Amino acid sequence: MTTVLSMKQVSKRFGQVFAVENVSLMIEKGSSVALLGPNGAGKTTTIAMLLGLTAPTHGEVKLFDKDPSYPDVKVKIGAMLQDVSVPDRLTVKETISMFCDFYPKPMSVQSLLSLSGLDTYASKMANSLSGGLKRRLQFAIALAGDPDLLFLDEPTVGMDVESRHAFWKVIQSLIEQQKTVLLTTHDLQEAEVLTKRILVMQKGKLIADGTAEQIKKSFSHRFVSFQIDAVEDYEREFLAWSEVSSVQRKDGRLVLITDYPDDIVRKVVEAKIPFREIEVKDSGLEDAFIRITNQQNLEETN
Amino acid sequence: MKPMLSFYRKEMLRFFRDRRFFILSLGMPIIFYLIFVNQVGSKQMLSGTTWKAYFMVSMAAFGIIASSVNALGVRLASERTSGWVRWLKTTPLSPTGYAVVKMLVQLSISLLIILVIFLIGVLFQGVTMPFWQWIAIFLWLWLASFPFAALGVLIGFAGNAAQILGTLIYLAISMLGGLWTPIQVLPSSMQTIAKWMPSYRYAHPAWNILAGQGIAWQDIAILLGYTIVFLMISVYVQKTKSFRRSTSTNSVS
Repeated sequence: MTTVLSMKQVSKRFGQVFAVENVSLMIEKGSSVALLGPNGAGKTTTIAMLLGLTAPTHGEVKLFDKDPSYPDVKVKIGAMLQDVSVPDRLTVKETISMFCDFYPKPMSVQSLLSLSGLDTYASKMANSLSGGLKRRLQFAIALAGDPDLLFLDEPTVGMDVESRHAFWKVIQSLIEQQKTVLLTTHDLQEAEVLTKRILVMQKGKLIADGTAEQIKKSFSHRFVSFQIDAVEDYEREFLAWSEVSSVQRKDGRLVLITDYPDDIVRKVVEAKIPFREIEVKDSGLEDAFIRITNQQNLEETN
Repeated sequence: MKPMLSFYRKEMLRFFRDRRFFILSLGMPIIFYLIFVNQVGSKQMLSGTTWKAYFMVSMAAFGIIASSVNALGVRLASERTSGWVRWLKTTPLSPTGYAVVKMLVQLSISLLIILVIFLIGVLFQGVTMPFWQWIAIFLWLWLASFPFAALGVLIGFAGNAAQILGTLIYLAISMLGGLWTPIQVLPSSMQTIAKWMPSYRYAHPAWNILAGQGIAWQDIAILLGYTIVFLMISVYVQKTKSFRRSTSTNSVS
Protein backbone atom coordinates (compact mmCIF):
# COMPACT_ATOMS: atom_id res chain seq x y z
CA MET A 1 0.00 0.00 0.00
CA THR A 2 1.26 3.47 -0.85
CA THR A 3 0.54 6.43 1.33
CA VAL A 4 -0.91 9.29 -0.70
CA LEU A 5 -1.59 11.67 2.15
CA SER A 6 0.15 12.20 5.45
CA MET A 7 -0.03 14.71 8.25
CA LYS A 8 2.56 14.62 11.03
CA GLN A 9 1.76 16.47 14.26
CA VAL A 10 0.13 19.26 12.34
CA SER A 11 -1.17 22.35 14.11
CA LYS A 12 -2.62 25.57 12.78
CA ARG A 13 -2.89 28.50 15.11
CA PHE A 14 -4.68 31.78 14.45
CA GLY A 15 -3.50 34.21 17.09
CA GLN A 16 -4.12 32.42 20.38
CA VAL A 17 -6.60 29.91 19.01
CA PHE A 18 -5.71 26.50 17.63
CA ALA A 19 -7.93 25.72 14.64
CA VAL A 20 -6.13 22.40 14.27
CA GLU A 21 -4.06 20.90 17.06
CA ASN A 22 -1.51 18.13 16.74
CA VAL A 23 -3.24 16.07 14.07
CA SER A 24 -1.42 13.07 12.62
CA LEU A 25 -2.89 10.78 10.03
CA MET A 26 -2.08 8.73 6.98
CA ILE A 27 -4.32 7.80 4.07
CA GLU A 28 -3.54 4.91 1.75
CA LYS A 29 -4.06 4.85 -1.99
CA GLY A 30 -7.53 3.76 -3.01
CA SER A 31 -9.14 4.33 0.37
CA SER A 32 -12.15 6.46 1.08
CA VAL A 33 -12.14 8.49 4.24
CA ALA A 34 -14.72 10.77 5.82
CA LEU A 35 -13.74 13.67 8.05
CA LEU A 36 -16.61 14.22 10.40
CA GLY A 37 -17.17 16.90 12.97
CA PRO A 38 -19.40 19.74 14.09
CA ASN A 39 -18.94 23.35 12.95
CA GLY A 40 -15.63 24.84 14.00
CA ALA A 41 -14.00 21.44 14.44
CA GLY A 42 -11.19 22.37 12.06
CA LYS A 43 -12.22 20.28 9.07
CA THR A 44 -12.05 23.10 6.54
CA THR A 45 -8.73 24.34 7.92
CA THR A 46 -7.38 20.78 7.65
CA ILE A 47 -8.48 20.58 4.02
CA ALA A 48 -6.97 24.01 3.33
CA MET A 49 -3.61 22.82 4.68
CA LEU A 50 -3.79 19.59 2.69
CA LEU A 51 -4.42 21.60 -0.46
CA GLY A 52 -1.54 23.95 0.27
CA LEU A 53 -3.88 26.94 0.56
CA THR A 54 -2.60 27.74 4.02
CA ALA A 55 0.62 26.64 5.70
CA PRO A 56 0.56 24.77 9.01
CA THR A 57 1.99 26.56 12.04
CA HIS A 58 3.71 23.34 13.12
CA GLY A 59 4.13 19.92 11.62
CA GLU A 60 4.36 18.51 8.15
CA VAL A 61 1.75 17.93 5.45
CA LYS A 62 2.57 15.73 2.47
CA LEU A 63 0.66 14.58 -0.57
CA PHE A 64 2.35 11.88 -2.65
CA ASP A 65 5.44 12.42 -0.44
CA LYS A 66 5.70 16.04 -1.51
CA ASP A 67 4.67 19.44 -0.25
CA PRO A 68 1.07 20.16 -1.37
CA SER A 69 2.13 23.39 -3.08
CA TYR A 70 4.40 21.41 -5.44
CA PRO A 71 3.19 21.61 -9.08
CA ASP A 72 3.57 17.84 -9.57
CA VAL A 73 1.06 17.35 -6.78
CA LYS A 74 -1.56 19.73 -8.20
CA VAL A 75 -1.78 17.60 -11.32
CA LYS A 76 -2.86 14.57 -9.29
CA ILE A 77 -5.50 16.19 -7.09
CA GLY A 78 -8.96 17.60 -7.53
CA ALA A 79 -10.88 19.64 -5.00
CA MET A 80 -14.43 20.67 -4.36
CA LEU A 81 -14.35 23.52 -1.87
CA GLN A 82 -17.00 25.21 0.22
CA ASP A 83 -18.22 28.79 -0.30
CA VAL A 84 -16.77 29.04 -3.78
CA SER A 85 -18.75 30.32 -6.69
CA VAL A 86 -18.10 29.59 -10.35
CA PRO A 87 -16.77 32.34 -12.65
CA ASP A 88 -19.26 34.60 -14.38
CA ARG A 89 -19.72 35.10 -18.12
CA LEU A 90 -18.68 31.54 -19.02
CA THR A 91 -20.99 28.66 -19.92
CA VAL A 92 -20.94 25.35 -18.09
CA LYS A 93 -19.11 23.71 -20.95
CA GLU A 94 -16.56 26.51 -21.29
CA THR A 95 -15.84 26.43 -17.57
CA ILE A 96 -15.26 22.67 -17.60
CA SER A 97 -13.10 22.82 -20.71
CA MET A 98 -10.94 25.56 -19.21
CA PHE A 99 -10.18 23.37 -16.20
CA CYS A 100 -9.56 20.34 -18.42
CA ASP A 101 -6.89 22.34 -20.24
CA PHE A 102 -5.10 22.93 -16.93
CA TYR A 103 -4.17 19.24 -16.67
CA PRO A 104 -1.87 17.03 -18.74
CA LYS A 105 -4.26 14.06 -18.87
CA PRO A 106 -7.76 15.44 -18.42
CA MET A 107 -11.05 13.63 -18.68
CA SER A 108 -13.13 14.56 -21.70
CA VAL A 109 -15.56 17.45 -21.32
CA GLN A 110 -18.39 15.24 -22.53
CA SER A 111 -17.76 12.52 -19.95
CA LEU A 112 -17.57 15.15 -17.19
CA LEU A 113 -20.87 16.63 -18.31
CA SER A 114 -22.59 13.26 -18.17
CA LEU A 115 -20.87 12.17 -14.93
CA SER A 116 -22.16 15.28 -13.19
CA GLY A 117 -25.53 15.11 -14.92
CA LEU A 118 -25.08 18.49 -16.57
CA ASP A 119 -25.53 17.47 -20.24
CA THR A 120 -28.67 19.51 -20.66
CA TYR A 121 -27.10 22.58 -19.02
CA ALA A 122 -23.88 22.61 -21.10
CA SER A 123 -24.61 25.90 -22.84
CA LYS A 124 -26.15 27.65 -19.81
CA MET A 125 -24.16 30.37 -18.10
CA ALA A 126 -22.45 28.72 -15.14
CA ASN A 127 -23.28 31.64 -12.90
CA SER A 128 -27.02 31.33 -13.51
CA LEU A 129 -27.27 27.73 -12.27
CA SER A 130 -29.14 26.91 -9.07
CA GLY A 131 -27.16 26.08 -5.93
CA GLY A 132 -27.43 22.34 -6.39
CA LEU A 133 -26.42 22.47 -10.04
CA LYS A 134 -23.47 24.74 -9.22
CA ARG A 135 -22.35 22.10 -6.76
CA ARG A 136 -22.49 19.51 -9.54
CA LEU A 137 -20.44 21.77 -11.77
CA GLN A 138 -17.85 22.10 -9.03
CA PHE A 139 -17.77 18.35 -8.79
CA ALA A 140 -17.21 18.03 -12.55
CA ILE A 141 -14.35 20.53 -12.27
CA ALA A 142 -12.81 18.66 -9.35
CA LEU A 143 -12.68 15.61 -11.62
CA ALA A 144 -11.39 17.53 -14.66
CA GLY A 145 -7.78 16.35 -14.31
CA ASP A 146 -8.77 12.72 -13.68
CA PRO A 147 -7.23 13.06 -10.19
CA ASP A 148 -5.82 10.23 -8.07
CA LEU A 149 -6.78 12.06 -4.90
CA LEU A 150 -10.09 13.81 -4.55
CA PHE A 151 -11.02 16.31 -1.81
CA LEU A 152 -14.71 16.90 -1.32
CA ASP A 153 -15.56 19.53 1.29
CA GLU A 154 -19.24 19.11 2.17
CA PRO A 155 -20.05 17.96 -1.37
CA THR A 156 -23.80 17.45 -1.13
CA VAL A 157 -24.81 20.62 0.69
CA GLY A 158 -27.63 22.24 -1.27
CA MET A 159 -28.50 19.09 -3.23
CA ASP A 160 -31.93 17.48 -3.12
CA VAL A 161 -32.31 13.87 -2.05
CA GLU A 162 -32.42 12.54 -5.58
CA SER A 163 -29.25 14.27 -6.79
CA ARG A 164 -27.55 13.31 -3.54
CA HIS A 165 -28.14 9.63 -4.18
CA ALA A 166 -27.05 9.96 -7.80
CA PHE A 167 -23.95 11.75 -6.57
CA TRP A 168 -23.17 8.99 -4.09
CA LYS A 169 -23.32 6.44 -6.90
CA VAL A 170 -20.76 8.39 -8.93
CA ILE A 171 -18.42 8.67 -5.96
CA GLN A 172 -18.76 4.96 -5.25
CA SER A 173 -17.77 4.16 -8.83
CA LEU A 174 -14.72 6.43 -8.43
CA ILE A 175 -13.74 4.58 -5.28
CA GLU A 176 -14.04 1.31 -7.20
CA GLN A 177 -11.58 2.78 -9.70
CA GLN A 178 -8.99 3.01 -6.90
CA LYS A 179 -9.28 6.77 -6.51
CA THR A 180 -8.51 8.06 -3.05
CA VAL A 181 -11.32 10.16 -1.64
CA LEU A 182 -11.29 12.41 1.41
CA LEU A 183 -14.62 13.98 2.16
CA THR A 184 -15.86 16.18 4.95
CA THR A 185 -19.49 16.06 5.87
CA HIS A 186 -22.10 16.76 8.48
CA ASP A 187 -24.23 14.00 7.04
CA LEU A 188 -23.46 10.79 8.87
CA GLN A 189 -25.38 8.68 6.45
CA GLU A 190 -23.19 10.06 3.71
CA ALA A 191 -20.04 9.13 5.63
CA GLU A 192 -21.36 5.64 6.32
CA VAL A 193 -22.46 5.01 2.74
CA LEU A 194 -19.36 6.32 1.02
CA THR A 195 -16.42 5.52 3.23
CA LYS A 196 -14.84 2.67 5.14
CA ARG A 197 -12.92 4.89 7.49
CA ILE A 198 -14.24 7.75 9.54
CA LEU A 199 -12.15 10.40 11.27
CA VAL A 200 -13.89 12.48 13.88
CA MET A 201 -12.62 15.97 14.64
CA GLN A 202 -13.63 18.09 17.56
CA LYS A 203 -12.15 21.42 18.63
CA GLY A 204 -9.23 21.02 16.24
CA LYS A 205 -8.27 17.59 17.51
CA LEU A 206 -8.66 14.19 15.95
CA ILE A 207 -10.69 12.31 18.55
CA ALA A 208 -11.60 9.12 16.70
CA ASP A 209 -10.39 7.13 13.74
CA GLY A 210 -11.99 3.89 12.63
CA THR A 211 -14.73 2.13 10.72
CA ALA A 212 -18.33 3.16 11.21
CA GLU A 213 -18.75 0.06 13.42
CA GLN A 214 -15.77 0.95 15.59
CA ILE A 215 -16.90 4.53 15.97
CA LYS A 216 -20.32 3.35 16.99
CA LYS A 217 -18.90 0.91 19.50
CA SER A 218 -16.51 3.29 21.14
CA PHE A 219 -18.93 6.17 21.35
CA SER A 220 -22.35 4.65 21.50
CA HIS A 221 -24.28 3.49 24.48
CA ARG A 222 -27.27 1.27 24.46
CA PHE A 223 -30.76 2.13 25.46
CA VAL A 224 -33.29 0.27 27.57
CA SER A 225 -36.68 1.90 27.26
CA PHE A 226 -40.22 1.15 28.47
CA GLN A 227 -43.50 2.73 29.43
CA ILE A 228 -44.25 3.23 33.08
CA ASP A 229 -46.67 5.11 35.34
CA ALA A 230 -45.46 7.55 37.99
CA VAL A 231 -42.52 8.39 35.80
CA GLU A 232 -41.03 11.02 38.12
CA ASP A 233 -40.54 8.64 41.05
CA TYR A 234 -38.91 6.00 38.94
CA GLU A 235 -36.74 8.46 37.14
CA ARG A 236 -35.04 9.34 40.40
CA GLU A 237 -34.69 5.71 41.39
CA PHE A 238 -33.05 4.67 38.11
CA LEU A 239 -30.61 7.54 38.24
CA ALA A 240 -29.28 6.10 41.47
CA TRP A 241 -28.41 2.81 39.76
CA SER A 242 -24.72 2.52 39.00
CA GLU A 243 -25.33 0.80 35.64
CA VAL A 244 -27.38 3.74 34.36
CA SER A 245 -25.38 6.61 32.95
CA SER A 246 -28.37 8.85 32.30
CA VAL A 247 -32.14 8.89 32.06
CA GLN A 248 -34.30 10.58 29.47
CA ARG A 249 -37.99 10.81 28.67
CA LYS A 250 -38.85 10.44 25.01
CA ASP A 251 -42.25 9.93 23.30
CA GLY A 252 -43.92 8.92 26.57
CA ARG A 253 -41.24 6.37 27.31
CA LEU A 254 -38.54 6.32 29.91
CA VAL A 255 -35.12 5.76 28.33
CA LEU A 256 -32.18 4.43 30.36
CA ILE A 257 -28.80 4.96 28.72
CA THR A 258 -26.34 2.28 29.73
CA ASP A 259 -23.38 0.12 28.83
CA TYR A 260 -24.99 -2.92 30.49
CA PRO A 261 -28.47 -3.46 29.04
CA ASP A 262 -28.66 -7.12 30.18
CA ASP A 263 -27.98 -6.22 33.78
CA ILE A 264 -30.58 -3.47 33.65
CA VAL A 265 -33.27 -5.79 32.27
CA ARG A 266 -32.49 -8.39 34.96
CA LYS A 267 -32.58 -5.76 37.69
CA VAL A 268 -35.83 -4.23 36.47
CA VAL A 269 -37.51 -7.65 36.48
CA GLU A 270 -36.10 -8.61 39.90
CA ALA A 271 -37.25 -5.30 41.40
CA LYS A 272 -40.75 -6.02 40.05
CA ILE A 273 -40.95 -2.63 38.41
CA PRO A 274 -44.29 -2.39 36.52
CA PHE A 275 -42.91 -1.68 33.04
CA ARG A 276 -44.71 -2.18 29.75
CA GLU A 277 -43.31 -2.74 26.23
CA ILE A 278 -39.65 -2.99 27.18
CA GLU A 279 -37.14 -2.45 24.36
CA VAL A 280 -33.35 -2.71 24.10
CA LYS A 281 -31.68 -0.69 21.34
CA ASP A 282 -28.29 0.11 19.91
CA SER A 283 -27.55 3.67 19.05
CA GLY A 284 -26.80 4.39 15.40
CA LEU A 285 -23.87 6.36 14.18
CA GLU A 286 -25.98 9.47 14.38
CA ASP A 287 -26.50 8.98 18.10
CA ALA A 288 -22.84 8.23 18.53
CA PHE A 289 -22.00 11.43 16.75
CA ILE A 290 -24.38 13.47 18.83
CA ARG A 291 -22.88 11.90 21.94
CA ILE A 292 -19.35 12.74 20.84
CA THR A 293 -20.14 16.36 20.27
CA ASN A 294 -22.35 16.68 23.35
CA GLN A 295 -19.69 15.14 25.54
CA GLN A 296 -17.23 17.72 24.33
CA ASN A 297 -19.71 20.54 24.76
CA LEU A 298 -20.41 19.45 28.32
CA GLU A 299 -16.73 19.40 29.12
CA GLU A 300 -16.52 22.87 27.76
CA THR A 301 -19.35 24.26 29.89
CA ASN A 302 -18.08 22.58 33.05
CA MET B 1 2.19 27.04 -20.80
CA LYS B 2 -0.98 25.15 -21.67
CA PRO B 3 -2.83 26.13 -18.47
CA MET B 4 -1.91 29.77 -18.96
CA LEU B 5 -2.99 29.76 -22.61
CA SER B 6 -6.32 28.19 -21.71
CA PHE B 7 -6.83 30.66 -18.87
CA TYR B 8 -5.94 33.57 -21.14
CA ARG B 9 -8.43 32.50 -23.80
CA LYS B 10 -11.26 32.13 -21.31
CA GLU B 11 -10.38 35.41 -19.59
CA MET B 12 -10.58 37.23 -22.92
CA LEU B 13 -13.89 35.55 -23.66
CA ARG B 14 -15.26 36.66 -20.29
CA PHE B 15 -13.97 40.12 -20.92
CA PHE B 16 -15.66 40.43 -24.32
CA ARG B 17 -18.94 39.45 -22.70
CA ASP B 18 -18.60 42.20 -20.12
CA ARG B 19 -21.02 44.97 -21.05
CA ARG B 20 -19.75 47.17 -18.27
CA PHE B 21 -16.33 47.26 -19.91
CA PHE B 22 -17.68 48.39 -23.26
CA ILE B 23 -19.67 51.19 -21.70
CA LEU B 24 -16.94 52.49 -19.37
CA SER B 25 -13.74 51.89 -21.28
CA LEU B 26 -14.87 52.34 -24.89
CA GLY B 27 -18.34 53.87 -25.00
CA MET B 28 -17.71 56.83 -22.72
CA PRO B 29 -14.36 57.94 -24.20
CA ILE B 30 -15.72 57.66 -27.74
CA ILE B 31 -18.86 59.65 -26.97
CA PHE B 32 -16.88 62.29 -25.04
CA TYR B 33 -14.44 62.51 -27.92
CA LEU B 34 -17.04 63.05 -30.60
CA ILE B 35 -19.00 65.56 -28.51
CA PHE B 36 -16.13 67.69 -27.21
CA VAL B 37 -14.09 67.79 -30.41
CA ASN B 38 -17.05 69.17 -32.29
CA GLN B 39 -17.99 71.55 -29.49
CA VAL B 40 -14.57 73.18 -29.43
CA GLY B 41 -14.08 72.95 -33.18
CA SER B 42 -11.67 70.51 -34.80
CA LYS B 43 -9.45 73.26 -36.25
CA GLN B 44 -8.54 74.56 -32.76
CA MET B 45 -4.83 74.42 -31.92
CA LEU B 46 -3.46 73.57 -28.47
CA SER B 47 0.05 73.01 -27.06
CA GLY B 48 1.59 72.89 -30.50
CA THR B 49 -0.87 70.40 -31.92
CA THR B 50 -4.48 70.14 -33.04
CA TRP B 51 -7.23 69.85 -30.46
CA LYS B 52 -8.64 66.76 -32.17
CA ALA B 53 -5.29 64.93 -31.85
CA TYR B 54 -4.70 66.25 -28.31
CA PHE B 55 -8.13 65.14 -27.15
CA MET B 56 -7.81 61.78 -28.90
CA VAL B 57 -4.81 61.08 -26.68
CA SER B 58 -6.75 62.29 -23.62
CA MET B 59 -9.62 59.95 -24.35
CA ALA B 60 -7.37 56.95 -25.02
CA ALA B 61 -5.77 57.62 -21.64
CA PHE B 62 -9.23 58.02 -20.07
CA GLY B 63 -10.38 54.65 -21.50
CA ILE B 64 -7.28 52.86 -20.29
CA ILE B 65 -7.58 54.36 -16.82
CA ALA B 66 -11.23 53.25 -16.73
CA SER B 67 -10.37 49.69 -17.69
CA SER B 68 -7.38 49.46 -15.35
CA VAL B 69 -8.62 51.25 -12.28
CA ASN B 70 -12.31 50.52 -12.39
CA ALA B 71 -12.99 47.42 -14.48
CA LEU B 72 -9.92 45.49 -13.34
CA GLY B 73 -10.43 46.48 -9.71
CA VAL B 74 -14.07 45.41 -9.67
CA ARG B 75 -13.31 42.12 -11.42
CA LEU B 76 -10.47 41.27 -9.05
CA ALA B 77 -12.59 42.14 -6.03
CA SER B 78 -15.48 39.93 -7.09
CA GLU B 79 -13.16 37.05 -7.95
CA ARG B 80 -11.50 37.33 -4.61
CA THR B 81 -14.69 37.46 -2.57
CA SER B 82 -16.21 34.58 -4.53
CA GLY B 83 -13.35 32.28 -3.53
CA TRP B 84 -12.58 31.71 -7.19
CA VAL B 85 -8.91 32.67 -6.77
CA ARG B 86 -8.60 30.26 -3.86
CA TRP B 87 -10.00 27.47 -5.98
CA LEU B 88 -7.62 28.15 -8.87
CA LYS B 89 -4.76 27.72 -6.41
CA THR B 90 -5.64 24.03 -6.11
CA THR B 91 -5.11 23.54 -9.85
CA PRO B 92 -1.86 23.30 -11.86
CA LEU B 93 -2.30 26.95 -12.86
CA SER B 94 0.44 28.54 -10.72
CA PRO B 95 -0.12 31.82 -8.84
CA THR B 96 2.56 33.36 -11.07
CA GLY B 97 0.74 32.03 -14.12
CA TYR B 98 -2.47 33.58 -12.83
CA ALA B 99 -0.83 36.98 -12.31
CA VAL B 100 0.95 36.88 -15.67
CA VAL B 101 -2.27 36.04 -17.52
CA LYS B 102 -4.15 38.83 -15.73
CA MET B 103 -1.43 41.22 -16.83
CA LEU B 104 -1.48 39.98 -20.43
CA VAL B 105 -5.26 40.29 -20.51
CA GLN B 106 -4.99 43.86 -19.23
CA LEU B 107 -2.37 44.67 -21.87
CA SER B 108 -4.57 43.15 -24.59
CA ILE B 109 -7.50 45.25 -23.43
CA SER B 110 -5.38 48.41 -23.40
CA LEU B 111 -4.19 47.59 -26.90
CA LEU B 112 -7.76 47.30 -28.06
CA ILE B 113 -8.80 50.57 -26.43
CA ILE B 114 -5.92 52.54 -27.97
CA LEU B 115 -6.52 51.09 -31.42
CA VAL B 116 -10.26 51.77 -31.33
CA ILE B 117 -9.85 55.37 -30.13
CA PHE B 118 -7.10 56.06 -32.68
CA LEU B 119 -9.32 54.59 -35.38
CA ILE B 120 -12.20 56.84 -34.34
CA GLY B 121 -9.84 59.83 -34.46
CA VAL B 122 -8.64 58.96 -37.94
CA LEU B 123 -12.00 57.96 -39.41
CA PHE B 124 -14.31 60.55 -37.86
CA GLN B 125 -12.01 63.52 -37.26
CA GLY B 126 -9.28 62.99 -39.83
CA VAL B 127 -6.44 63.08 -37.29
CA THR B 128 -3.10 62.83 -39.05
CA MET B 129 0.50 62.69 -37.85
CA PRO B 130 3.78 61.12 -38.96
CA PHE B 131 3.91 57.36 -38.62
CA TRP B 132 6.64 57.43 -35.95
CA GLN B 133 4.40 59.62 -33.80
CA TRP B 134 1.56 57.14 -34.00
CA ILE B 135 3.93 54.37 -32.94
CA ALA B 136 5.58 56.40 -30.17
CA ILE B 137 2.25 57.52 -28.67
CA PHE B 138 0.82 54.05 -28.98
CA LEU B 139 3.80 52.44 -27.23
CA TRP B 140 3.85 55.03 -24.49
CA LEU B 141 0.11 54.75 -23.72
CA TRP B 142 0.28 50.99 -23.88
CA LEU B 143 3.29 50.37 -21.65
CA ALA B 144 3.03 53.28 -19.23
CA SER B 145 -0.42 52.20 -18.06
CA PHE B 146 1.26 50.09 -15.37
CA PRO B 147 0.58 52.43 -12.40
CA PHE B 148 -3.16 52.28 -13.14
CA ALA B 149 -3.11 48.50 -13.28
CA ALA B 150 -1.33 48.59 -9.91
CA LEU B 151 -4.07 50.91 -8.59
CA GLY B 152 -6.70 48.50 -9.97
CA VAL B 153 -5.05 45.61 -8.13
CA LEU B 154 -5.15 47.69 -4.95
CA ILE B 155 -8.86 48.52 -5.41
CA GLY B 156 -9.41 44.80 -5.95
CA PHE B 157 -8.81 44.35 -2.23
CA ALA B 158 -11.74 46.60 -1.32
CA GLY B 159 -14.32 43.80 -1.55
CA ASN B 160 -17.86 45.09 -1.91
CA ALA B 161 -16.70 48.70 -1.84
CA ALA B 162 -14.56 48.19 -4.96
CA GLN B 163 -17.22 49.29 -7.41
CA ILE B 164 -17.95 52.62 -5.75
CA LEU B 165 -14.32 53.26 -4.88
CA GLY B 166 -13.14 52.37 -8.39
CA THR B 167 -15.68 54.61 -10.05
CA LEU B 168 -14.94 57.57 -7.80
CA ILE B 169 -11.20 57.29 -8.14
CA TYR B 170 -11.11 56.84 -11.89
CA LEU B 171 -13.47 59.75 -12.49
CA ALA B 172 -11.57 61.96 -10.03
CA ILE B 173 -8.11 61.32 -11.42
CA SER B 174 -9.32 61.64 -15.01
CA MET B 175 -10.95 64.97 -14.31
CA LEU B 176 -8.23 66.40 -12.03
CA GLY B 177 -5.48 65.21 -14.38
CA GLY B 178 -6.79 67.32 -17.22
CA LEU B 179 -8.08 64.50 -19.41
CA TRP B 180 -11.52 66.08 -19.78
CA THR B 181 -10.45 69.71 -20.01
CA PRO B 182 -6.87 70.71 -20.90
CA ILE B 183 -5.12 72.10 -17.82
CA GLN B 184 -4.08 75.18 -19.78
CA VAL B 185 -7.63 76.51 -19.43
CA LEU B 186 -7.89 75.68 -15.72
CA PRO B 187 -7.10 78.07 -12.80
CA SER B 188 -3.52 77.83 -11.58
CA SER B 189 -4.40 75.99 -8.36
CA MET B 190 -6.05 73.28 -10.42
CA GLN B 191 -3.02 73.18 -12.66
CA THR B 192 -0.78 72.53 -9.65
CA ILE B 193 -3.00 69.66 -8.55
CA ALA B 194 -3.10 68.25 -12.06
CA LYS B 195 0.65 68.15 -12.26
CA TRP B 196 0.73 65.74 -9.32
CA MET B 197 -1.90 63.42 -10.80
CA PRO B 198 -0.73 60.15 -12.36
CA SER B 199 -3.31 60.67 -15.11
CA TYR B 200 -1.70 63.96 -16.16
CA ARG B 201 1.76 62.43 -16.02
CA TYR B 202 0.48 59.56 -18.14
CA ALA B 203 -1.05 61.70 -20.90
CA HIS B 204 1.55 64.48 -20.80
CA PRO B 205 4.35 62.61 -22.66
CA ALA B 206 1.87 61.59 -25.37
CA TRP B 207 0.77 65.21 -25.80
CA ASN B 208 4.46 66.18 -25.94
CA ILE B 209 5.12 63.64 -28.67
CA LEU B 210 2.22 65.14 -30.63
CA ALA B 211 3.96 68.53 -30.41
CA GLY B 212 7.22 66.97 -31.50
CA GLN B 213 8.82 67.08 -28.02
CA GLY B 214 10.42 64.38 -25.91
CA ILE B 215 9.31 62.73 -22.68
CA ALA B 216 10.13 64.67 -19.53
CA TRP B 217 11.92 62.88 -16.66
CA GLN B 218 9.36 64.27 -14.17
CA ASP B 219 6.61 62.32 -15.95
CA ILE B 220 8.46 59.04 -15.55
CA ALA B 221 9.57 59.81 -11.98
CA ILE B 222 6.06 60.61 -10.76
CA LEU B 223 4.47 57.60 -12.50
CA LEU B 224 7.15 55.35 -11.03
CA GLY B 225 6.55 56.85 -7.59
CA TYR B 226 2.81 56.14 -7.79
CA THR B 227 3.45 52.59 -9.00
CA ILE B 228 5.75 51.85 -6.09
CA VAL B 229 3.31 53.32 -3.57
CA PHE B 230 0.34 51.37 -4.99
CA LEU B 231 2.30 48.13 -5.05
CA MET B 232 3.58 48.60 -1.52
CA ILE B 233 0.09 49.26 -0.16
CA SER B 234 -1.18 46.18 -2.05
CA VAL B 235 1.48 43.96 -0.51
CA TYR B 236 0.72 45.34 2.95
CA VAL B 237 -3.05 44.89 2.55
CA GLN B 238 -2.58 41.40 1.18
CA LYS B 239 -0.58 40.37 4.22
CA THR B 240 -2.96 41.76 6.83
CA LYS B 241 -6.08 40.72 4.94
CA SER B 242 -5.15 37.11 4.34
CA PHE B 243 -4.49 36.79 8.05
CA ARG B 244 -7.82 38.32 8.98
CA ARG B 245 -9.70 36.18 6.50
CA SER B 246 -8.20 32.96 7.80
CA THR B 247 -9.11 33.83 11.37
CA SER B 248 -12.67 34.68 10.45
CA THR B 249 -13.00 31.48 8.39
CA ASN B 250 -11.88 29.64 11.44
CA SER B 251 -14.47 31.15 13.72
CA VAL B 252 -17.29 30.48 11.26
CA SER B 253 -16.53 26.99 9.96
